[in-house]
Amino acid sequence: MIGVLRRYGTIVGFVGIVLFFWISLPETFMTGRNWLNISQQVSMLTVTAAAMTIVMVMGDFDLSVGTMASLAGVVAAVLFKLGFGVPLAVSAALATGLVGGALNGILVSYIGILPFIATLATLTVFSGFAFLISDGRTIFGRDIPEAFSGFARSGVPLGDLVSIPALTIAALAFVLIVWIVLEQTVFGRRLYAIGGNSRAALLAGVYVRRLRLAAFVLTGVGAAIAGLLYASRVASANPTQGDGLMLDAIAAVFLGMTMSEEWEPRVHATLIGVFILGVLDNGLTQMSVDSYIRDILVGAIILAAVASSSLWRRDTG
Amino acid sequence: MTDLAALHDVTKAYAGVPALRGARLTIAPGEVHALVGENGAGKSTLIKILAGVTPPDAASIAIDGRSVSIDTPHAAADLGLRFIHQELDVVPALSVAENIFLGRRYPMRPAGFIDWRTLGQAATEAMGRLGITDIDPRRKMARLGLGDQMLVRLSAAFLDRGTAPARLYVMDEPTASLNGEETERLFRVLREIRDTGRSVLYVTHRLDEVMRLCDRVTVMRGGETISTAATSDTSEAAIIRDMIGRPVDEAYPRRATPVSDETVLDVDDLAGAGIGPVRLAVKAGEIVGLAGLSGAGQSEVLRLLMAADRRTGRVRVAAKPQQAAQPPQAWRSGLAYVPRERRSEGLMLTRSIAANVTLPHLRLFARGGFLNRGSEREAVSAAGDEVRLVARGPDQHCYKLSGGNQQKVLFARALLERPRILLLDEPTRGVDVGAKFDIYTLIREVSSRGTAILIASSDFPELLGMCDRIIVMRDGRIGGVLPAADLSEEDLLTHCYGHAAAAPATAAASGA
Amino acid sequence: MKFSMLRGIAGRALLSMAVLGAAAGIAQAESRVAVVTPYLAQPGTQFYVEGFEAAAAENGWDVNVIDTKGDVGAVISRIEDMVTQNVDAIVINVDPQQITAGLQAAADAGIPVFGMDSGSDPLLVTNVTSNGYAMAAETAVYVANRIGGTGNVVMFVFDAFPPVQVRGHIADAVFGNFPDVDVLDRVTPDVTDGGIADSRAKMEAILAANPEPGSIAAVWAAWDQPALGALQAIEAAGREGEGIVITGIDANPQAREAIAAGGNFEASIAQDFQGIGRTTADAVSRVLAGEEIKQGVMYVPTKLITSANASD
Repeated sequence: MIGVLRRYGTIVGFVGIVLFFWISLPETFMTGRNWLNISQQVSMLTVTAAAMTIVMVMGDFDLSVGTMASLAGVVAAVLFKLGFGVPLAVSAALATGLVGGALNGILVSYIGILPFIATLATLTVFSGFAFLISDGRTIFGRDIPEAFSGFARSGVPLGDLVSIPALTIAALAFVLIVWIVLEQTVFGRRLYAIGGNSRAALLAGVYVRRLRLAAFVLTGVGAAIAGLLYASRVASANPTQGDGLMLDAIAAVFLGMTMSEEWEPRVHATLIGVFILGVLDNGLTQMSVDSYIRDILVGAIILAAVASSSLWRRDTG
Repeated sequence: MTDLAALHDVTKAYAGVPALRGARLTIAPGEVHALVGENGAGKSTLIKILAGVTPPDAASIAIDGRSVSIDTPHAAADLGLRFIHQELDVVPALSVAENIFLGRRYPMRPAGFIDWRTLGQAATEAMGRLGITDIDPRRKMARLGLGDQMLVRLSAAFLDRGTAPARLYVMDEPTASLNGEETERLFRVLREIRDTGRSVLYVTHRLDEVMRLCDRVTVMRGGETISTAATSDTSEAAIIRDMIGRPVDEAYPRRATPVSDETVLDVDDLAGAGIGPVRLAVKAGEIVGLAGLSGAGQSEVLRLLMAADRRTGRVRVAAKPQQAAQPPQAWRSGLAYVPRERRSEGLMLTRSIAANVTLPHLRLFARGGFLNRGSEREAVSAAGDEVRLVARGPDQHCYKLSGGNQQKVLFARALLERPRILLLDEPTRGVDVGAKFDIYTLIREVSSRGTAILIASSDFPELLGMCDRIIVMRDGRIGGVLPAADLSEEDLLTHCYGHAAAAPATAAASGA
Repeated sequence: MKFSMLRGIAGRALLSMAVLGAAAGIAQAESRVAVVTPYLAQPGTQFYVEGFEAAAAENGWDVNVIDTKGDVGAVISRIEDMVTQNVDAIVINVDPQQITAGLQAAADAGIPVFGMDSGSDPLLVTNVTSNGYAMAAETAVYVANRIGGTGNVVMFVFDAFPPVQVRGHIADAVFGNFPDVDVLDRVTPDVTDGGIADSRAKMEAILAANPEPGSIAAVWAAWDQPALGALQAIEAAGREGEGIVITGIDANPQAREAIAAGGNFEASIAQDFQGIGRTTADAVSRVLAGEEIKQGVMYVPTKLITSANASD
């Protein structure tokens, strides 16, 4: 019994949180509409956390995802302001993610700087660029084309009243792609091998450096996508708006990792981690709980999940 | 005269595997006593018991004729025992003096401040015992060379402050990283120690040092004490005989198919850091051993062939040049490799057997980058059967397997694509007897299919039982190539120590 | 096993309920109003919210103040949650153009949203703020009257930022209406370091170009920082005795101090932040009572600050 609780502690906790809100908010919480809302609210975090999962599979970190999201949004907005169209602005933002991710990858795998340090440095660099090209201002209003900001407000109709938000669909599509890449491809298998033992992986014929670089590139592009979704949702871009995504993304991946016996990051588990955070935000707001209490609870839940899973590992390992 | 230390009937088993079987060791006052034996003979375990680090299952230990029990390292220190371990356990960021005082109480001033002056003086004094006057005790350890670092750690054993006076110094291969001059310094000090009535237990692989320095020598083998003799009454040859002792096991399956004439692996001028140049050739179906003392370069040759370390030279696989800058390319050229350190270099312990086995071969199970798990599982099952792997299935995690089965996972990985050349580094280290025989049988099977095999091993009976030829490595170079057929362990060990009977070695080398 | 698992969940739920219940104080009867802002940590916003909460307490509302800590995207999410909760009204303090998605959700649910110095938007019932036009007119007229309707005026403006551009434009109109008032220079200072330092440098250059006493009668600044910079330049040039009149807008603490000291910096305009909060509450209560508000913007009176009241 104890073992079950430890093994599935995080899932049990998630179900417990959902039940709690269901009981506390009987009319408004467990509705399709509210869950669609939650899915839309966490869409940027979902993409960021899924992207973060890619590098964490290798046992690495990318602390720069948040500022990369900010930078990508600002890049797109500045191009809008200069009169360029949506395809070009979006492509440029994605290219920014690619270049930034490649920079992280080169620093980590070819130059050999610890990911924590390398991406802490690029975190600052990306943020600096975001401030530089935006002049530190929020770009909004008429500068942002309707075609771009309209995306976040659009959706696929489901019956007469409800529609599945475009942001939800985009986030789930991204998770699906990451899931396929990590779980179904040779590339993903090799990333997990690097995470398992990078020395052994190299000796067993894995191009460790090359793959690490590729993984960081994917994470950078993911962060840029998250930044674009964010900019579309707020129909504006300022140089700090995505910064907060990073810590929540790491928290979500950690929560997901506690669900695996070997502490492996799995993107579907990350998604549950994201929803734990999103449901807490949604439910606690609806219950009029002080938003600062939410922070305390999130921290406590992460500690509880990690502690129970560590205890379980100690007993079995 | 009463023995300074006497250990009798020492028994110890690790997880049911006996490491010591009634071993004994007596050390007289005022002697330098050598303790020798092959890897796994039980020397280290015996020393750990004496040091109070490992509790014995049974033992009677007497110091100065009085029965004692040594439960903790502190108890050993209080009895006047000092230990210098093989590993260089220094803290690079601390000063020389602080390293000397590592694990001891620093001299203090009344208010709880460290008395740095006394600390430095004591350190200078301790180093002075070794004749070291040119190392400033305030320097950072990291700024010293490796040999000097070793000397500093050695001098810690000569520090008498705050503990019972030293009676017995136990040294595990202290000269491994010392140069000739530093070794001489050490020997001078050891003789001085002996002359003042204290004793030294000297563990080494270097028989020349035994003969030069030591008064008596105890030989261990298979957890038992085989002999103790005065060095003046014995010879290196006799010591080696005692170390090996038993006849070559019948446990090695015999060669059933002849070696082909086709040279599959052709290596010329292969060199890396401290290794080479190495020239060797292996024919299809041939098994060639790499022997040598530890650190002579056997493992490194295999790593260079895998392009795991930076290398120069020419490697030809089946007459085609191997263009490999990284291990993946070496695998693609037809090589397969079982690394030396199973846990740190071989396996991804938290991954499944399947993930471990197919890692170098994933392209076989992929279409357009997507994995076909069905065909992967089939191949893993077949490979597992071939190596007689005992497991619940391809999804079982490797950390749940025994050492022998973990090793078989690595063999399954190496053999899955039928390599032209199989490189094995310590293929049976830490493997139980049953699995060992499975592995030997497997090596023969693979060889009979025409695979060329190179085995680096410190297990001499294994090399002699399995190999057609044995390449002896000394100091990173090939010291000789010997046909295994008429070779005894004694001959082989002698070659490894460098006292080679020259004629057969050169003959075999030109034959390759 | 299943039973005890459920018991574990119930235990957790009860525990969390105890924690949350204590923190929340769930009440359903009275009107529920949510205030959502990313800027609660900023002093201005705190004053708005204090004023709003004080008025709300008198009305007996259940007010839920939600701070998203700088995250504008989360403002949308929290508005959606408030819509789910079907609150009676929502008050925002963030640019409405950035949260159109949230405003639309509220509009679809028929929940009125009020801006508290947020900028106007068709999706807002109204936006309660200070009157930038009036503030500029009041200081410009103060300048014109003090110099007797004649003399050279230096203007500090910033046309790139719409709310400040308005102020400059109004001041232009006021000065243009006095035939003997000439605008000597219309300066846009570099504001990257706050505006004081560059305004001082620009003013020093103007002083050097106009060395005659009386050649500069006044400095009108569209906000306080350039006024402070101009004051420093005049004092450093030793020309504080020429009677050059300086005015600013916003009446920040540094400006109040300078005005209280009785030097050249004579006047600024203070916004009534608490009043904005109270007026917003008033607008909410009128809408809750069924009244329709037609003004897209509601102005809260501002107060001219001179040496007479600068220390209040």
